[in-house]
Amino acid sequence: MTWVLEASGVSVAFAGIRALDDVSVSVEAGERVGLIGPNGAGKTTLFNCLLGILRPDAGRVLLNGVDVGGWPAHRRARAGMGRTFQRVELFADTTVREHLLIAERIRNGTGAFWKDLIGRGRPTPGEIAACDEVLELLGIAELAAKPVESLSLGQSRLVEVGRALMTGPQLLLLDEPSSGLDRDETQVLADTLRSVQDTRGYAVLLVEHDVSLVADFTERTYVLDSGALIAEGPTADVLADPAVRRAYLGSFEVT
Amino acid sequence: MILASGFFEDLFRGLLQGTPPGAVYALIALGFVLTYKTSGVFNLAFGAQAYISAAMYFKAHSVWGWPKWAALLVSVFVLAPLVGLVLERAIFRHLRTASAVSKLVVTIGLSVALPEIFNWAARFSAVAGRQITGIVPDGAGVYYDPFGVYRFNRDELAMMAVALAGTLLLAALFRFTMMGLSMRAVVESPRMTELSGINANRVSAFAWALSSTFAGMAGVLIAPRFNSLSSGDYFTLVIIAVAAAATGLLVSLPRALLGGLGLGWFIAVFNTFLPGLADDHTWLRPFQENLTPSLPFVVLFAILVLWRAVGRQREASDPLAGVDPPPPALAALERHPKLTLFTRLFGVFFVTVVGLVVWFRADVLWMSLVTKAVIIALIYLSVTVITGMGGQISLCQGTFAAIGGFTVFQMADRFNMSVLAAALIGAALAAVVGALLSLPVLRLGGVWLAIATLAFAFFFDAVMVKFSWVGGGSTALLTGTQVPRPLIGPIDFASDRAFLVLAVVALVVVSVVVIQLREGTIGRTLAALRGSEVAAASIGISAARARIVAFAVSAAIAGLGGALLAMHQQNVNYALNFAPVVALFWLVVVVALGARTVEGAIQAGAAFALFEPLILQGELLGWIVRGEERLPEFFPLSGNWRLILFGLMAMQFARHPEGLVEHGKRRSATRINRWLESREARA
Repeated sequence: MTWVLEASGVSVAFAGIRALDDVSVSVEAGERVGLIGPNGAGKTTLFNCLLGILRPDAGRVLLNGVDVGGWPAHRRARAGMGRTFQRVELFADTTVREHLLIAERIRNGTGAFWKDLIGRGRPTPGEIAACDEVLELLGIAELAAKPVESLSLGQSRLVEVGRALMTGPQLLLLDEPSSGLDRDETQVLADTLRSVQDTRGYAVLLVEHDVSLVADFTERTYVLDSGALIAEGPTADVLADPAVRRAYLGSFEVT
Repeated sequence: MILASGFFEDLFRGLLQGTPPGAVYALIALGFVLTYKTSGVFNLAFGAQAYISAAMYFKAHSVWGWPKWAALLVSVFVLAPLVGLVLERAIFRHLRTASAVSKLVVTIGLSVALPEIFNWAARFSAVAGRQITGIVPDGAGVYYDPFGVYRFNRDELAMMAVALAGTLLLAALFRFTMMGLSMRAVVESPRMTELSGINANRVSAFAWALSSTFAGMAGVLIAPRFNSLSSGDYFTLVIIAVAAAATGLLVSLPRALLGGLGLGWFIAVFNTFLPGLADDHTWLRPFQENLTPSLPFVVLFAILVLWRAVGRQREASDPLAGVDPPPPALAALERHPKLTLFTRLFGVFFVTVVGLVVWFRADVLWMSLVTKAVIIALIYLSVTVITGMGGQISLCQGTFAAIGGFTVFQMADRFNMSVLAAALIGAALAAVVGALLSLPVLRLGGVWLAIATLAFAFFFDAVMVKFSWVGGGSTALLTGTQVPRPLIGPIDFASDRAFLVLAVVALVVVSVVVIQLREGTIGRTLAALRGSEVAAASIGISAARARIVAFAVSAAIAGLGGALLAMHQQNVNYALNFAPVVALFWLVVVVALGARTVEGAIQAGAAFALFEPLILQGELLGWIVRGEERLPEFFPLSGNWRLILFGLMAMQFARHPEGLVEHGKRRSATRINRWLESREARA
């Protein structure tokens, strides 16, 4: 078994209040894992600890077996952690393709400063082809030259996914991808993610509110409540667990 | 024992001596924090507001011969609140949702325009050597010595009394009045305030009026300490305010008060002990002479760099803003190919015509002006890099340029080096300084970064320039900082025409470099960072590395430009060309016209150097109406109009961060695009 992500014993306290208490999560290569929990359960805090935006007070985060605990976010990204944002974070004043181009360039590490100076910094045909291939996969090839300000929220999410894919992630962390989308758009997103996963082979950690998406999309699920894990296991079992239902106060029905 | 008692006596004297100015600093800091807290405006025009009141007081009392109380009433209690109200009503109320940095730029524009608007409206001109008298009769002549160690004069007592009264008033206001309660509510829980029925506009208008009154009061009180009334001196007041207010992270009023007092004490105690130390240790002597005037800048820089809480503090956007900022305006990204072709052809045509006219018709003066425009445009490309591409406001571009200029001077003066080689060394040196400066200030957010660079610029101005190995020291006072023109083989650039060609070549080379950078990796990286820092990190971009590169490149360009300007004028002319307040005006012009593009920088360079002679002096209009004698009577206009005009234009930055010219261009480009497309559709 190869673990892409192994986080163990992660604890965070804000001003004396335990936001996360000894939480351990792991994701196997190519696996789709969910992370659910009611509001304030610590999902975002855990997410930030995994990504290097927040330093946990205790605990280890291993990426492909390497301890990345002291690494800043950008270094983890280069080591194979891609992500999307709950509130869409795109680069203003640039086109869809340009979003992917810069990610591609950073991944290749071919952007030396002197190359810019002698005019060798412009996108190469190879890079453009690589970006267009991903846009094609995501079914948004026709948006390539559009400024991102003109996109719908669903399209923006796909652009974020595309940008994350260009970094060649082994683990894709999706932060509430369904927020702001209607049921159909969410379905399109889930289908796209699944089909792209077949060709690209990354693992997914999905932090989500929308339990039906988790039920539909993930194989295994962790449940956080008040900063502690209260359940984990195959998604169907977890969602049927009475303790989990109690944490949600019956706020969802599994059909 | 004797030494110890002498030490404590000195310390006590220092503290007493530092109290009156400290009290005024506290007043300034309080006023500054008031507007920052209630409207999120980092008001760099605060010094300009203080200047207006001080100048009004001077005009009323010394010129019109009004009694002091009447002059004080009009300048501080009528004019100052009025200015605050107008600023809030006309400008800042509409900028609630703008970013903190763009509001900062607005206040920079204001700080340039406001004093000149007043000077024009009140027919006021600063009189050198004529000091303002204090607000109490015989203020500088009557002394009181309560402790037997330091004699306070009446002006100083007045300073302390007024500051105390102002503080008590503010405390009472916050504690006992409804308005004070509303202001506190606004600070504590901004978004809830409006929901509970408090009229946010009234609160912020009141805060602006009050803050402006504090500025005016401080301006009048501190005037006797300046040699003459100049808006430049008053601008430095803002640094003092920020330094004092930064100790309370800009939000705590009591700590701003203590910060102001502390700054006064620190400076006085420092001045008490440093001379003695410098007598014992000769290496301290140049610092003693130079450091004192710059202490506020040093303190501010130290606070920003060393105190980690400053960097962590979330940037206050307007606490009253109920909604998130609107997305930036759509850019005309896709241009019609015909339009691109046409604009290129027009550009080539225009540049050729101007070039031919200058080459064949320009006399010595015009040749020199055009050369200056070219070099300034080159320097402005450094702003294109740091602000247009990097999205950061640097207020020390003048300092980087000065480093280039001084390097050429030193290399030519000491080693008789070729000035062109020296210019390259100067650019490299500026790049190193830029990179080093960027290291400690990088983690600071937009507004703090701007302030740190401003503190650095003033520090360089007050301390570094006076060292003989930088600004030439005492020799520079006698002979100036002379720089020869370059000489390559048989081509002697002492000829103005040859030098113009050299400057144009340099501009073209740097423009091409900037365009390459923008299209290349670094430009795209910076664009990503400008768009969203977390998203940039999520694809592996290191913000620190990209920003260091941006700072170094920008500094190198400015350094090269500064070196060329020094060669052109055959003198560094630091005070005229590169002083912080002058460089502030550079920024104003370039953000007004367009900091995003190379054309914007070139237009801004032309505007900076040629607007006054061409438009204000009436040269262009004279040519149009064929004959200077037919010009309307009000020509030639004062050169100060450019400060007003560009200052007001820069204030548009909050709405059109791409610059007014660029904005107009994009708008007309969309229109022409549409027209061309509709024509094609019909055909």
